[in-house]
Amino acid sequence: MCAVAKEIPPVWTTGWTEELSTGTWRSATPVHEERPSPCKNACPAGGNIPLWIQQVREGQYHSAWLTLVANNPFPAVTGRVCHHPCEVSCNRGEYDGAVTVNALEQFVGDLALKEGWPLPGPENNKDARVAVIGSGPAGLSCAYQLRRRGYRVTVFEAQPEPGGVMRYGIPAYRLPKEIVAGEVNRLLATGIELRTGTVVRGEDLDSLRKEFAALCLATGAPRAKVLPQFNPAGGRVISGLDFLGRVNRNDIPAIGRQVAVIGGGSVAMDVARTARRLGSQVKVLALEDGHNLPAQAQEVQEALEEGVIIRGGVMVREAAEEGGILNLTCDKVVLDPSAPPGVLKPIVIPGVSFQVSADTVILAVGQDPDLDGFPVRQGENRVIEVDHCQATSGAGIFACGDAASTDRFVSAAIGGGKRAVLGIERYLEGRGGNCGGEPVPDEVSFKEINTFYFPVAARVERKAADPVKRLQDFREARVALTEEEARAQAHRCFSCGHCLKCDNCYYYCPDMAVIRETLPEKLYGIQDRYCKGCGLCVEECPRGAIVLKEVRR
Amino acid sequence: MAYQFAEEKVFCSGHHACPGCNAALAIRYIVNTLGKDTVAVVPPSCIAIISGPQPLSSMRIPVYQTTLEASAASAAGIKRALKARGKDHVNVVAMAGDGGTYDIGFQALSSAAERNEDIIYICLDNEGYMNTGAQKSSSTPFMAYTTSTPSGKPTVKKNIAEIMAAHRIPYTATATTGYLDDLVRKVQRAKEMKGMRFIVVLIPCLDGWGVADHEGAKISRLAVQTGIFPLYEVEDGRKYTLNHGPQGIPVEAYLRRQKRYRHLTGEQIDEIQRMVDSDWEYLRTKFDS
Ligand SMILES: Cc1cc2nc3c(=O)[nH]c(=O)nc-3n(C[C@H](O)[C@H](O)[C@H](O)COP(=O)(O)OP(=O)(O)OC[C@H]3O[C@@H](n4cnc5c(N)ncnc54)[C@H](O)[C@@H]3O)c2cc1C
Ligand SMILES: Cc1ncc(C[n+]2csc(CCOP(=O)(O)OP(=O)(O)O)c2C)c(N)n1
Ligand code: SF4
Ligand code: SF4
Ligand code: SF4
Ligand SMILES: [Mg+2]
Repeated sequence: MCAVAKEIPPVWTTGWTEELSTGTWRSATPVHEERPSPCKNACPAGGNIPLWIQQVREGQYHSAWLTLVANNPFPAVTGRVCHHPCEVSCNRGEYDGAVTVNALEQFVGDLALKEGWPLPGPENNKDARVAVIGSGPAGLSCAYQLRRRGYRVTVFEAQPEPGGVMRYGIPAYRLPKEIVAGEVNRLLATGIELRTGTVVRGEDLDSLRKEFAALCLATGAPRAKVLPQFNPAGGRVISGLDFLGRVNRNDIPAIGRQVAVIGGGSVAMDVARTARRLGSQVKVLALEDGHNLPAQAQEVQEALEEGVIIRGGVMVREAAEEGGILNLTCDKVVLDPSAPPGVLKPIVIPGVSFQVSADTVILAVGQDPDLDGFPVRQGENRVIEVDHCQATSGAGIFACGDAASTDRFVSAAIGGGKRAVLGIERYLEGRGGNCGGEPVPDEVSFKEINTFYFPVAARVERKAADPVKRLQDFREARVALTEEEARAQAHRCFSCGHCLKCDNCYYYCPDMAVIRETLPEKLYGIQDRYCKGCGLCVEECPRGAIVLKEVRR
Repeated sequence: MAYQFAEEKVFCSGHHACPGCNAALAIRYIVNTLGKDTVAVVPPSCIAIISGPQPLSSMRIPVYQTTLEASAASAAGIKRALKARGKDHVNVVAMAGDGGTYDIGFQALSSAAERNEDIIYICLDNEGYMNTGAQKSSSTPFMAYTTSTPSGKPTVKKNIAEIMAAHRIPYTATATTGYLDDLVRKVQRAKEMKGMRFIVVLIPCLDGWGVADHEGAKISRLAVQTGIFPLYEVEDGRKYTLNHGPQGIPVEAYLRRQKRYRHLTGEQIDEIQRMVDSDWEYLRTKFDS
């Protein structure tokens, strides 16, 4: 503050302009506000990405991991297999390439496993018991979030080992099984009871309801779809789920030299690349044209590098066995663009049919939940109907993951598991109402980023191992970032909407109207008396952590 | 990257600069860097308005309001008087507009430089007589609208930094508000030197240029990044150092954001681009030696 007038010889000046109030001029006021980044909004697991990346940047790896696992107990898994919509929506994508969020997540996840960091357990125990059916990412995320809140949780799992698709579906060259085991065991160690080899049937729910205060169905989508053209009885036609499951159990099936994979999604790519590693020649036949496969571009790219042949715009008309070989009669097709979204309506191009022969055909044309006998309402798409809190039509029964959604992603399953806990908690506490629904501030857009403060820096991704070497075994196909690379990449994050206490707003105010407390920690405020509402602080904030709000008088 | 400036709290809130004024922003860092042992000399200009409606002052230092012709002479006289009274440690800074520097106060400035008076002279260059209603000065750029050049100024901007360097004074520098760290460093450097020190600070005038209240610093950066206003310093009129130069951004990006250039045709923009390119080609050779 300026000194009082009498300290100065009273020549011309009798005082300081500080006694004037220029704040009355303004029609808008800057407000410091934490706002969601687009990456956070896009992450199905709801991760606070700018915060944990900031912690990585500062070398606070343990804090970064704690931030991550508040929402996602499987960062080493998602850091490998997530379809990372966070990167698609990353603001830096409009500048010099999205932040490598997924690779950073793997870096933190792997470090935690290496260091053996335990997950935080409950602060105090509650009496209520909850049963979770299924130990895939959805069920385990639900169990973990329940346990963190102190509930007593029992997970029922049909298979001998927990993990669901992480354990028995996704091939080891994308997701090493010791990574899955490490993250799953760490999660169970928070005090979750697991009963493996236990199939829960619809008729068991009544008795479970007596023992447990609430149930969560997280049974996934284990039923492989079939196609009428193929006779499922013939042992030469198998499902992708069975095939991958057997390989993941080290019970390698004999598939012969020529393998045809039907389908163009992620599962088809996993099947094809697994079959290549078993030494077969592989052709993928998909309805969609080769440039528009539902599989992620990177998976397709890696499959092609590994010698998988992909033929798009193909429909198998019939399959006939002859001398131990399957002959597939195929038509060329185009997809009807007028079909409703999600529906494939192939139109056959006449006169261009051809033959493909194979020792084995592996079908990868989608999966459905297996819910026969379960007393919960299912929608048209065969998934359990749930509300915003993942509550089903059955009282006290919740559902999440593939069983309750057609968003078939690990991160979506993790997010669903957490959401179910909000619902379960409300139910157990006898509260009504909806989950979430609180208004959140607008997300930070790229035009709110002041790129002057961010020198151009190249995006660096994980490198792929040599394709020839990749085919020799099931070792991981991508090389993790080094610590140095991870730190450098973390520095690229704009921290959209998250104040880093850089002081720019404080320094750029021509009116000294932004005030900064430094103790006990840095905190910014606006002096109403002087702020003229110019918005310079908003503009000069590198990251959209201040917004200008209209003043109503 | 985060700024860290050691400010002495000389400049006060409550001054009457326009919202978002970059002159006020520059003054904050000039007087707060020079500190309390400073006497300021201010001629009629926006700076005079900002220094406070009498009898209130926005600067907690003595401020002498002189005539538009006489800033450098007044400052030199004050400095000599202080020296005679054994107060050589007190900085004397003249802060004048471009009208008061390039035009009306130029005679006094040039002769103070010739005598190597021990003062700091800072021109807050908003490229026109702005507080009197945006008339042109010899600092107004080619083709810019002012109320006295309604179809654009037909002559080019006078190059005051080169003129002052040609006086072979100890220190000449260009600066602007979008590079606060650079501005503060230059003021600090000037403070630590003796003799005539001259800094011209480009100040986007929000109203006079037709720029949004929040965009001053951004526009000033574009002036640098397009090569229109390179930031550099010159010691003894000979040793040139480039601080921030053009970054290959076309001048159009700068011109199109300002209403004073609204009337420009594509050909005129091309012409300005050629002039800026050739000025830069000439200036850059000076950084080599
Ligand atoms: C081959 C393959 C590859 C994939 N790759 C990816 C990928 O790269 N990235 C990605 O994001 N997503 C991928 N997905 C999708 C993703 O794996 C799923 O969306 C996710 O695993 C769903 O989690 P969930 O917990 O709902 O189900 P699941 O992982 O299927 O887990 C369900 C669990 O419930 C158990 N269970 C089922 N019924 C019962 C019962 N009645 N009683 C007891 N236990 C039961 C099952 O044994 C299983 O362990 C892939 C899916 C497949 C099939
Ligand atoms: C000799 C003289 N002529 C004219 C004026 C009127 N006058 C006062 S301020 C001013 C404009 C000064 O322009 P500039 O120095 O660029 O400062 P700005 O207002 O742009 O900050 C003028 C013309 C004057 N005070 N003295
Ligand atoms: S879980 Fe997926 S979307 Fe979320 S941060 Fe990780 S990679 Fe991104
Ligand atoms: S720059 Fe950082 S905070 Fe912003 S969207 Fe990208 S990852 Fe998220
Ligand atoms: S300018 Fe810096 S200190 Fe101010 S709100 Fe933005 S990030 Fe925080
Ligand atoms: Mg002027």
